[in-house]
Amino acid sequence: MHAPSIRALGLLTGDRACDGSADPLGSPAAAPRQATPILTLARPDRPGDRFRRATRECLLALAAVDAMLEDGKAPREAIAGERTALLYATTAAYGASNREFVERRGGGTHFAYTAPAVVPAEVAIEYGVTGAYGILIGGAPATLRAIEQAAQLLDDGTCDRALVLAVEIFEECADLYAGHRRFTRWPLVETAACLWLERGEGELRFESVRGGRGSPAPRGGERFAAGPLADLREWLDRAPAGPLELSGRWRGERARLRWSMLTSHPRGSAA
Amino acid sequence: MAAPDRVAIAAAGVITPIGQDLEAFWSALITGASGISQIERVPVADLRVQRGGEVKKLGRIKEWRGVPDCRATRLLVAAADDLCAQSAFRPLPLDPARVGVVVGTALGGVEEGEKALAGDRTRRRLPGALYDAPGWNLARWLGARGPVITVSTACASGATALAVGADLLRRGEADAVVAGGYDALCRFVLRGFNALRSLTRDEVRPFDRRRSGLLLGEAGALALLVRERDLTGPRLGTLLGYGSASDGFHIAAPEPEGRGLERAIRAALAGARLSPAEVDFVSAHGTATPLNDRIETAALKRALGPRAHEIPINSIKGSLGHTMGAAAALEAFMCLLAARRGLIPPTLHLEEPDPQCDLDYVPGRARAARPRIMLSTSMGFGGCNGALVLEAA
Repeated sequence: MHAPSIRALGLLTGDRACDGSADPLGSPAAAPRQATPILTLARPDRPGDRFRRATRECLLALAAVDAMLEDGKAPREAIAGERTALLYATTAAYGASNREFVERRGGGTHFAYTAPAVVPAEVAIEYGVTGAYGILIGGAPATLRAIEQAAQLLDDGTCDRALVLAVEIFEECADLYAGHRRFTRWPLVETAACLWLERGEGELRFESVRGGRGSPAPRGGERFAAGPLADLREWLDRAPAGPLELSGRWRGERARLRWSMLTSHPRGSAA
Repeated sequence: MAAPDRVAIAAAGVITPIGQDLEAFWSALITGASGISQIERVPVADLRVQRGGEVKKLGRIKEWRGVPDCRATRLLVAAADDLCAQSAFRPLPLDPARVGVVVGTALGGVEEGEKALAGDRTRRRLPGALYDAPGWNLARWLGARGPVITVSTACASGATALAVGADLLRRGEADAVVAGGYDALCRFVLRGFNALRSLTRDEVRPFDRRRSGLLLGEAGALALLVRERDLTGPRLGTLLGYGSASDGFHIAAPEPEGRGLERAIRAALAGARLSPAEVDFVSAHGTATPLNDRIETAALKRALGPRAHEIPINSIKGSLGHTMGAAAALEAFMCLLAARRGLIPPTLHLEEPDPQCDLDYVPGRARAARPRIMLSTSMGFGGCNGALVLEAA
């Protein structure tokens, strides 16, 4: 499969502690075994009555797309239309709205917001994205698969550009996560990210294996499905050359995406 | 460029409110049986509508040892048990690392979350609430150690799962994939649709002038997907194409002209390299809400042109309710069984035609026909539209 080129990447990452502490993460290596710190993202402000009832995860998704457009110096019209595909990955971003619906006995509008599908739907509505779509549930491997699916859609001509969106939030369910090791090994970092891909050269290879024990400390904390896009942002910021490898693990699956001959557009040149 | 591998649906297994195996499901559809009843498993006294397509007893499996006490997981395992009974797929007849699992769901294990929030802090309860938990539970039950993927494109999830499963085979990531959809009736979803006021107190009447809403159902529906070139035994049919498109219109209401569904249908036919004139039968999403059926009719007319008026179209949601994540997979299996048996199941409770829904929806009784190429459509929350193109064996 051809490796897509990277047009832009928007990343929002948690920067304030759930409990108000000054330096909740410390060094990632020192963080495990503490009571799980959570670095949270504030609910973005967005004007317009349409967003009055929108959930925090939806607003963060929109903010991530805004950040992506800014990164690519592109107007919002550049991603509108049926030639744009949208792939969404999350592990648990729906947990907050599910909980609120259960505990606060929310009504019909709130119920609609409990569906994972509503996060990319808000993006589709706001930016007029009406092409192919996919929604994957899982940890980092879900996002790596979403990138692979995006590359496939670009390769077979289904779309001209593909957006890979990932959102993870934790604050609303912090007490529930606290009792489960899967969520407490590393500090949790709320993250929303959106990657803009276009057709490129070179080769993209996805690999997945099951089994094996242990996993390295995630850099800067645990972001689950949003982790690979945070890693990619870091890699891009180092002004890299050469191949890229993104990896992640979830429920005993280790997935890896190898991106050879990576090309990325000069910022703002292809709008 | 070489043509992509054709992917066969080698076998299918189901658990539904109208039958706990594929044969019983088919018989009930053909005879016009209804799986709608008073909901008994969860409290509904405070809800406006208290009926649905509930599976009363998970009778297939006598021994649940090793299977979590999670309704969604057990529906999946029951469907898988039917699949395995028909295809001798358990114990796995091939390298477990080459067997994938792809499931679609609108709700995942959300009922486990409800229980956890109600104070049940059983160790597995909260992790079981993650939407991908039932899929992993199914993989463990099967002994599959290949890719495990959960997709959640609302009520189009079953279609998406079949398509993603086929892609795993085409890319060589697996040699066999168990793919399909599921969802369980629970307080969470019943209360949600109750609040949306989209449930009917009447019968579910797809495309009928008097239609007044849907009823929810629960089910599991799984297919065994294999590359056709690797298949040695019989098959139900072939998955030829899939298309998806976002409405980009509203989080809970379909786009008024059905443009998203139209694009999904066109993409599915393009993927199958077929023209609208080659479609012999359509399994419609057909929820029986006033909006859905009118919009879907309009989308079918535009996507299929004159052919839309010439071919039978049905909806099976009058028989078993809207089974959400399972619906599209069940409807795909119904298409393939219709082709095999030479009978198209009727659209139950369609009695008074709606002038705005003026296609041939197979009212009344099953119709003799032997379609070769079939289209199955799905629409979901968030403006998710999906379409599958299937070929008879």
